[in-house]
Amino acid sequence: MVSLNDVAGSLLQKPTDSAHTVGTRTDSQYKPLTTFNLSHQRSYQQQYGDMYFLRLTKIKPAVEEVAAAAWEDTVIGDERAKQVERVLDVRQGELCWVVGTVYMNLQNKPNILEDVSKDRWISKPDPVHKYFKEDETEEIMLEDDSGRIRLVGDILHKIGLATGCIMAVMGTENSNGELEVIDVKFPDMPPQPERWALSGQPGTQGNGVKKVKGEDEEMSGQTGGKRKKVAIVSGLAFSGSDASYALELELLLEFLLGEVLSPDAQSELSEISRLIVAGNSISGSDVKPVTEEDKNKNKKYGYDASAYNAVPSQLFDDFLAEILASIPVTLFPGPQDPANSSYPQQPIHPAMFPNAREYTNAPGSKEPGWLDIVTNPWEGEIDGWRALGTGGQNVDDVYKYVKSEDRLGMMEAMCRWRCCAPTAPDTLWSYPFQDDDPFVLKDCPHIYFVGCQPEFGTKVVSGPADQSVRLITVPSFSATKEIVLVDTETLEVTKVQITTA
Amino acid sequence: MDEYKKFLADRLLSDEQPITYRLLSRALGIHVNTAKEMLYDYHTYQNGIKAESIHATYVVYGTKTQSSTAGDGDVEMSSSMPEHEPLSETVPTTTLTLVRQENLEAALAEYQEVVSIHVYSLAPGPQRDVSLLYDVAKSLSEFSSKEDPLTAGEKYGTIRNLNVRRRDRQARPKPGSSTSQPTKAQPAKAQPAKAQPVVPIKAEPAASKKPSPFEVAAAAAKLKKQPSSQTPPSSETPASSAGKPAPALKRGGSGGIMQSFAKTKPPKPKPEPKKEEDTEMALSDDGEADDEDIAKEKAEYKDSDAVRKSRKQREEELRRMMEEDDEEEKSEEDPADEEMEEAPEPEPEPEEEPKAKEEEKEPTEITTTSNGRRRGRRKVMKKERVMDEQGYLVTIQKPGWESFSEDEAPPPKKPATASSVSSTPASSAGKAKKPTGKGAQGNIMSFFAKKS
Repeated sequence: MVSLNDVAGSLLQKPTDSAHTVGTRTDSQYKPLTTFNLSHQRSYQQQYGDMYFLRLTKIKPAVEEVAAAAWEDTVIGDERAKQVERVLDVRQGELCWVVGTVYMNLQNKPNILEDVSKDRWISKPDPVHKYFKEDETEEIMLEDDSGRIRLVGDILHKIGLATGCIMAVMGTENSNGELEVIDVKFPDMPPQPERWALSGQPGTQGNGVKKVKGEDEEMSGQTGGKRKKVAIVSGLAFSGSDASYALELELLLEFLLGEVLSPDAQSELSEISRLIVAGNSISGSDVKPVTEEDKNKNKKYGYDASAYNAVPSQLFDDFLAEILASIPVTLFPGPQDPANSSYPQQPIHPAMFPNAREYTNAPGSKEPGWLDIVTNPWEGEIDGWRALGTGGQNVDDVYKYVKSEDRLGMMEAMCRWRCCAPTAPDTLWSYPFQDDDPFVLKDCPHIYFVGCQPEFGTKVVSGPADQSVRLITVPSFSATKEIVLVDTETLEVTKVQITTA
Repeated sequence: MDEYKKFLADRLLSDEQPITYRLLSRALGIHVNTAKEMLYDYHTYQNGIKAESIHATYVVYGTKTQSSTAGDGDVEMSSSMPEHEPLSETVPTTTLTLVRQENLEAALAEYQEVVSIHVYSLAPGPQRDVSLLYDVAKSLSEFSSKEDPLTAGEKYGTIRNLNVRRRDRQARPKPGSSTSQPTKAQPAKAQPAKAQPVVPIKAEPAASKKPSPFEVAAAAAKLKKQPSSQTPPSSETPASSAGKPAPALKRGGSGGIMQSFAKTKPPKPKPEPKKEEDTEMALSDDGEADDEDIAKEKAEYKDSDAVRKSRKQREEELRRMMEEDDEEEKSEEDPADEEMEEAPEPEPEPEEEPKAKEEEKEPTEITTTSNGRRRGRRKVMKKERVMDEQGYLVTIQKPGWESFSEDEAPPPKKPATASSVSSTPASSAGKAKKPTGKGAQGNIMSFFAKKS
């Protein structure tokens, strides 16, 4: 309960002669990684099978280690559990454990073989809310390069699983040829790098300093003791037709520029050192589906204004160009953005931003751009913390496999599976990787955020080797008008809501 | 002191337009916080004179009382939830609310703590829909787009960032709002080098490329030989004068393309453009800096081959762009070239212009003049593409005859350009080859233009 008279520090006063100060924004120590960048000369000829093989090969040693530690001396009914190398080596009646890739067969899940046999050739699958159905029988299988075996057991229904994650199962094969699962183990979180592992702590002679050190040291003097925050927003959904949240976007702009609010609050705003836009910056609702009629129409030469509405991207460009003068931006593509739709999404082309591209780095330059247009998922170091971010497709897709609504739980599971996009390439479209599966987490992030989610959520999860991960689901701004602020000293999260009344 | 009151009275009472603190700050060139105070002051002042004449919206920022942050349903939920572990931590939430004055008290009641409050906007009447303020916010660009955001931000109180990096501008003229931007920059760069008469340019994009292609080409070519003769100040003129239509331009359409080839005139007095630069930063926001950059660049690497090559490319580009605008150029006259005015070619219809000219210069056999129409044959350069011994495709130009009639669409532009080049005093023998090259380029725009 606040009444008008209680408010201190307001600007409800006559103009004074004293000059107002201009805040200086704290600098952002930032080092992006190129884990998910694809080569420009990439081929799409390969088979997807290699990805599963690579993933299994990369994660298997870690799972085996965990499983061996847990089950080495397990004796059930005079029988000692022993490891078998391949799924097909499982013998009926023997207690054993084996490592493989989970494959789930769900009722509503798209099935390529079915599509081919029924002669369905649509480019975009029908949107399915969930593949999982409560009363349907689901089939969970474990496979490796030798073959697959069906898994049964109550424990499987207690844990959420998704196609593509790697796990070890212990049990015996029953007379139906199914493996009765007694226990399962996951690789759990990968090792977590120290803070400043990549960029080196500013002001100190950090080891492994690859960043421009001069800049860091120069800045550290000014920012000493000052708190720093990173703002994360997603789903700005600039639209040419839907103006229902246009004013909120304008307020967001003023908020980020530090023009709104009173001097005290403004100085707080100057602590926000970077803005991360985690996907769906441009509304997809303006895109007209291509109808048969459109296709048959005579093609006009050159630009056809009726086929493409440039307003959303222009609005977004203006927005970026304006805030970039004050704050650096990391821009992710999202499901609705003009980038490739398969994972990992490659950066939106700077030509989409005629005004803001001035702030991007020159091609070939080593330093991250002031406007850093990155991949989705993306990995990097923000103020020393290892961060992993996605535009949300990976969580949205895992969400379809499980009964739960707990998206933070899915993010946690991904950390424990050591895979940030397990369902690629099955139901999450993906590039057919040949030599490496970048979705396998080599390092455990400190911050893991996912954009374009229905609501805000955050929690900290910890791993067996003292890893600690701050998970954040970032809601769509267009729906919730919320932005997330992460304190980069404590990793505490706050949010700001912008409303109009 | 009370200047802002007058401004606000104009805006709110006379024009009946709402105004936000940002707009006021941009319009008067003041800090946003001062603008917020001014709005408040004016609000109390004006409503003191006449109650309820001005309506305000406020921005309230702070922490809401816990129970009111969530909707009613959520409150119940959270009380029934405790047995489960909550899926997410609850985090401190600050709320920024834009609220009309009628609702201010109610909005404040929801807050536990208010960090800041100020007037966001004023409007002449009660505002039923705050989202209309978005349109006001959009009109801000009218004031601010003219400034470099990096320097202007300081004046208005935008949080500044000392580490801002922008790409080197000279490498890439700002694509900006229209495609005319690069072209604008190019002639500007070419001209100073030759100390050419400064040709006022119209504001509209098309006309901004008014200097004739040949002149510019020539200028650019000369530039190579005497890079030292550049006069940077004059480089601003074309760009800055582009901001407002030069009134002189409207002086009749009697001038022809020939006028652009006039003898070099003394450059315009330099102080004038300089002054303009200060007030009209905007239009040259980028163009100008580019010009200077490029000019500098030129001076630096006079003769290096690489630079020369890129320069050639630029010229080539420039010429191509110029070509697109040949039509407009021809119908405009160059006020700077007075001496040419005595010898304008009679051109009754602007559309006929290019043709009329080319006919004069070409050997033309007029056979018929029935119905007042001229028919005949004329000599044109025809393009032929052949494969040479080595298997390369070679385009050669051959003179040939073509029949025409007056009401027919004018022939492709190549003849026109070729002929005018040959008569151009400015183009020396050495340069003649370039324009022909350009002729061979063809111009798709002319194709479309003529058809319509």
